[in-house]
Amino acid sequence: MTDLMGIMVVTLMIWVGLFAYVYRLDRKVSRLED
Amino acid sequence: MKLMRVSEALKWVLLVWLAVVIVAAFFYVRPAEGFIGESSRIVFFHVPMAWIAVLAFLVSCITSVMYLRRRDPKDDIRASVSAGLGLLFAVLATTTGAVFARIMWNAYWNWDPRQTSITILLLIYAAYLALRGAIDDPERRASLSAVYAILAFVTVPFLVFVVPRIYWSLHPDTIINTRGSNEFDSRYTQVLMASLVGFTGLYVWLYTIGCRIESVRQRRRQEVL
Amino acid sequence: MSRLLAEALAVAAKDLRTEFRTRVALNALGLFALTVLAAVSYTVGPYRISAGDRPFLLAVLLWIVVFFAALAGLDRSFVKEEESHTAPLLRLAASPTAVWLGKLGFNLILIYLLMAILVPLYCILMGYTIQLIGGFVLILVFGGYALAVITTIIAAIIARALTRGALFSVLSLPLLLPLLIFLIQGTAGAADGTVETVTNTLRAVLSMGGIMTIVSAMLFPVVWTD
Repeated sequence: MTDLMGIMVVTLMIWVGLFAYVYRLDRKVSRLED
Repeated sequence: MKLMRVSEALKWVLLVWLAVVIVAAFFYVRPAEGFIGESSRIVFFHVPMAWIAVLAFLVSCITSVMYLRRRDPKDDIRASVSAGLGLLFAVLATTTGAVFARIMWNAYWNWDPRQTSITILLLIYAAYLALRGAIDDPERRASLSAVYAILAFVTVPFLVFVVPRIYWSLHPDTIINTRGSNEFDSRYTQVLMASLVGFTGLYVWLYTIGCRIESVRQRRRQEVL
Repeated sequence: MSRLLAEALAVAAKDLRTEFRTRVALNALGLFALTVLAAVSYTVGPYRISAGDRPFLLAVLLWIVVFFAALAGLDRSFVKEEESHTAPLLRLAASPTAVWLGKLGFNLILIYLLMAILVPLYCILMGYTIQLIGGFVLILVFGGYALAVITTIIAAIIARALTRGALFSVLSLPLLLPLLIFLIQGTAGAADGTVETVTNTLRAVLSMGGIMTIVSAMLFPVVWTD
């Protein structure tokens, strides 16, 4: 049960981290476009 | 302006959406029958990745055809960006698939038709990008890679539909048969569908960003000249 | 129509003439095939593989040799034009489709020549008994055709790129792999007498060859006339 929880938490962290990275990239590109 | 607000909101929706999918994949769904242990949960990520790898390929090919017709450099950008993304998702799909295979059938790789197909897709992407890397002139690069993308696309139906029929397959029939599959309970299908939608959204986002980056890069290059 | 054929024949004839004079592609194809055949025959020979595995394994080895020999030599027809700078002249002299047909014809002849020499030798040296010889020949003919069609258009593409040699194999392999799989299966079927496998394979190879022919014919002008 806790193993599963652990994997889920890691996956969530990966996803949130990825999202943050791409979001920042998005922001940067928007700035470059204008 | 309105459009920007909507797309901004959509990004946050995507964050929440996939986060919910991840949680649901682990706690909302019971492990499916016929799968060893919890391995059926990998499917929620593996299948969408494979789907995106194929979708990206489709986009690449369609934009390649469009490029050959209209010779708009933007179409070439779209084709190459999609190919890059497709490669990424193909690698992810292959890796998750190999992990799944190890759990289920004790071998990371056994060349069953689906694994063969994803490998060939990987090779196609790699070849496409290698070709692009080998041509300096931008217009020639665009048209030749467009031709290759179309050629590659034409061989895919054989891979996906004909090869598996000839060979006995270890692979559960989930890739073609995700809807209306009686083996899985409805929760499973819900989460799988939700994951598919989420991943598609992610792809679209990454795709638009990639295209914008390339456009900016090209514009910079023009300005320098 | 006849104009097209005449031009195509002229292109093919010219290529054949130069090829027999310099023998670059023939050497590449032939040397590779014979070397590998000798190596395989010596190390594996007619006795090492058990009877049950023979149809399949010998099919695998045979097609590997054919495919890699093809990859060694079939890009020649286009690369030669670029290297000797005769390509622009050829563009003026003949229509793109004629050039394509001619080059395809040339590659076909090379492949069939290779097969005519290699396959009997292989069967003799490796002790490969084929039960459905007719089916086997058909597989060779149509498989060779599909192989030639695909490699011809790829050769045209890479001739216009920088790192030609490696690129030819890299680009061809993903497209040839499904074909290879079919041909191996079919040949194994021909060897052990399963008619159904052979007909399935022939159907697949024919449709693949057909589709690639049409698509190549449509796309070649784009590649050729830049």
